[in-house]
Amino acid sequence: MGAPFLFSLYLALSDANVGDPVAHFVGLENFRAALESDVFYIALQNSIVFTVVGAIFKGLLGTTLAFLLLQPFWGRKFVRGLVVIPFTLPISISVLSWKWMYDSQFSVINWFLSRIGLIGSYGSADWPVWLGQPHLALAACIIVNVWRTFPFSAIVLLAGFTSVPTEILDAARVDGTSFMQRFRFVVVPMIAPILLIGFLFDTVFTLSDLSIVYLLTQGGPANATKILPVLAYQVGIQAGALGRGAAISLFLFPLLMPLMILLLRNLRRREY
Amino acid sequence: MAGPRTYRQKEIRRHLWIYGALTPYIIIAVFPIYWMAITAFKQDPDLYRMDAFPLWFHLAPTWKHFSYLFTNTNYGAWIVNTMVIAAWVAVITLLAAVPAGYALARLRIPGAENLGIAVFMTYLVPAIILFLPLARVVSMLGLQDSWWALVLVYPTVTIPFCTWLLMGFFKTVPVEMEEAARVDGCGYWGALVRIVLPVSVPGILTAVIFAFTLSMQDFLYGLAFVAPGDQKPVTVGVPTELIRGDVFFWGSLMAAALMVGLPVAILNNFFLDRFIQGITGGVGK
Amino acid sequence: MSDLRSVQTDRSTLDRRKFLGVAGAGVAGGSLLTMLDARKAPAQVRGTTLRILQWSHFIPAYDAWYDKFAREWGDKNGVKVRVDHIPHLDIPARMAAEFAAGAGHDIIYNGSSILTRLYYKNLVDLTDVADQAGKKYGGWIPAARSLVEVEGRWFGLPIFYILAPMLYRKDLFDASNLKYPDTWELARVAARTLKPKGHPTGIALSQCADANLFWRSMFFSFGGTEAEPSGDNPTLDSKELREFLRFAKAIFDEGMTPEVFSWDDASDNRYLASGIACWVHDAISAYRTTEDTNPPVFQSTFLGLEPQGLPGKRVSVAAPNVWMVWKFSKNQQAAKEWLTYLIDNDLEGMVQSRGYNMPYLNDRYKKPMPVIGTDPKLQILQDFPKIVAFYGYPGPSTTPIQEIVNTFIFPDMVTRVCRGKESIEESIKWGVGEYRRIYAKHKRA
Repeated sequence: MGAPFLFSLYLALSDANVGDPVAHFVGLENFRAALESDVFYIALQNSIVFTVVGAIFKGLLGTTLAFLLLQPFWGRKFVRGLVVIPFTLPISISVLSWKWMYDSQFSVINWFLSRIGLIGSYGSADWPVWLGQPHLALAACIIVNVWRTFPFSAIVLLAGFTSVPTEILDAARVDGTSFMQRFRFVVVPMIAPILLIGFLFDTVFTLSDLSIVYLLTQGGPANATKILPVLAYQVGIQAGALGRGAAISLFLFPLLMPLMILLLRNLRRREY
Repeated sequence: MAGPRTYRQKEIRRHLWIYGALTPYIIIAVFPIYWMAITAFKQDPDLYRMDAFPLWFHLAPTWKHFSYLFTNTNYGAWIVNTMVIAAWVAVITLLAAVPAGYALARLRIPGAENLGIAVFMTYLVPAIILFLPLARVVSMLGLQDSWWALVLVYPTVTIPFCTWLLMGFFKTVPVEMEEAARVDGCGYWGALVRIVLPVSVPGILTAVIFAFTLSMQDFLYGLAFVAPGDQKPVTVGVPTELIRGDVFFWGSLMAAALMVGLPVAILNNFFLDRFIQGITGGVGK
Repeated sequence: MSDLRSVQTDRSTLDRRKFLGVAGAGVAGGSLLTMLDARKAPAQVRGTTLRILQWSHFIPAYDAWYDKFAREWGDKNGVKVRVDHIPHLDIPARMAAEFAAGAGHDIIYNGSSILTRLYYKNLVDLTDVADQAGKKYGGWIPAARSLVEVEGRWFGLPIFYILAPMLYRKDLFDASNLKYPDTWELARVAARTLKPKGHPTGIALSQCADANLFWRSMFFSFGGTEAEPSGDNPTLDSKELREFLRFAKAIFDEGMTPEVFSWDDASDNRYLASGIACWVHDAISAYRTTEDTNPPVFQSTFLGLEPQGLPGKRVSVAAPNVWMVWKFSKNQQAAKEWLTYLIDNDLEGMVQSRGYNMPYLNDRYKKPMPVIGTDPKLQILQDFPKIVAFYGYPGPSTTPIQEIVNTFIFPDMVTRVCRGKESIEESIKWGVGEYRRIYAKHKRA
């Protein structure tokens, strides 16, 4: 398990390129090179925004949906089946469907917004160009990420909720606790392990996910949606500067590792 | 009669509330899929119209995009490859993750916890770099350009997460149950197989769903390791053969996505049901 | 690798053991072995095998033809030929994987990103094949050399390039008494006149290949250059750059909409096909898409030569396509023979690609050329070879240029200008700074 990591680290510290296996040790040169480029800072910032904003929305949508699906109602199974579809479609293809929905000319989203009068007609100044306006473009990428993953958050949470024994909840209710109290002090601690793993996993995956941005915008316009993995791929693989690509993609490692260890240790303490 | 009616009214009200609250979620989740479906059946000139209502047909619907998939591409083979890969990945993942997760959850191996953390760290190594050393391994084993390469590679992604997931589930199983089993003469292994696994069915199903889904999400590994047209999984085959330079075959792209996504969704739903039932019926008691 | 399969059979026991070790699933031993046994036994290879990696061509029929053409050649020569297709944008990743593995295809294709200089130490010297073809067909067009030549040797074989002419709506131009866009100035006037009538133009200002290609065409036609002829240093910072950027800002403000910031390579095809664009500057895929989806617009769509920037100055940046042979290939002789055969038949390729594939050899330009020579609208394409250039003009496709292209520095600089949030000088400072930084890094390495 450690081997791939060491390999990446070795690359990041060398002047390797894709066509030259004989690499020389260059120390932190590649990291310095990354820091010299302002595209790197843009990508770093976008990566953080992408992950944090995405996580917030996934959390909100996932929790509320899980609560709704917890209620008994007619057709629940069917609804549950419908909402998990986004998660089951192959990402490389469903992103293309979104690309088509975001099209500057034939966007079906804009068609609706325009019909209900929220935006102007095609060609007017307030016709949004989803993948062309910097903030919108980043939002568009986040939307796809949230769309794809919130059903998964909901299902993980749902499984967690249903695993809390009703006896405990009943006992708490008898003690006169409010719904929020029960949620906060009984449910959350009990499902913490699943929750935390789900959260960590999602964060790490979102941070390293290349496909949404790569297929929607390649990081454009003018780097407005550039995130670290896309930049690393373009520099390391497409342009062949493997060492610098590895440095860019490993940049978050020193930041993430302590955070993860902290979270996981905390989780362990809770359990014992 | 008044009693049942108010109960019924209450129920109807409650249902309306729930449906009302669910509607936005359903729209968010399903609209893109509807859009894919309608695109898949539209004739090309129908796609490029800005004046007409986009959600319905203005020229007769067509099967052309579907038949194109089967006559001009290896779509059938891609589907089979994908399913077989996913099944193998699920099996391999379970075989590795069940013992590992159980060990991490129960056994007092020195350093087990830190090992667990290390396992999770592997996700921090980006696939875009990882595929190069993996290419070497795949080629050494002579699996390059065969879908077996992906059976070998995908578990590196699924095993760590499933190990963690199962560890979480195993921990929720009361230790007393196992101890009782061990008293009755089962070893660790016996306790795992006879007591822990049956009550962890939901966790295992989650792991299966996960392994299955994840092996349908990759693009880069498939692209780098499998080039022959008849060996590709559907996730690689579709975008690599239906996007040609600056021409997108929208209809066929959408048709391809639907035909693979919907069955998996139904399958998933079936599993989901078992898995939620399993939790309430098993661990809860 | 020609005998990959036989080697594999010899080592199969070892492989299995290794496989199990790597999978780390000892428990699964039995089933894994069954699984490997169940794997279809490869057909016995007669003679040698030639494996070719090729892109997915715009025209599906071309791929079908190519595969068949290659197979037939193989049958004649007792060589088993296999052709695999992936999109050109994904070839760098695949190439990196094959190089890391030291195995894969014998012949590998590069489109738009020409990685010859990155890999030349590991590529077969094809100078003999190139010289022979040059002698036979009146020499290579001048731009061909810059793609594949490293230290005087050819490590790749240019096979065709894809042109981007002007595609304009004659009906709209005539209705407003506009002159055809033979200069960028005329194109700007046309867009300025027709945009208020609902017919703007557009050139992608996003991170896609079109943006990299077409804005460079305009820049070079205004007399600009990207690098020294030797390729050693960037020459971006110039009076011409400033003129070009001022013009780019004007043509964007007057004739385009912010849609272009979101475009991918296919968007301008749709822009033309939907009847909106007054003109686009694109490969003839846009022309073909229109032909298939909107016949009335197609009727009135005409093609023009690359517009002049400075008087008489036309430079058309084309998307190059090149073949290379890996050094690790065990079948280099067959690879060279196939490439020679392919060059001998490149006009047939032009026919099968409906006129996309433009040849690199001078004798091929004897008029009328196939497909484009007989279609009155397409005839103009025959005049492009003299003005064709590639990334890094007038220098070669160097590694810093590859990085600049792949990180979209040039179109990003134009985008910054067109957005209007910063002055032209500020955008230039950024763009030139990035060029210098990237060149410096490659020199250090």
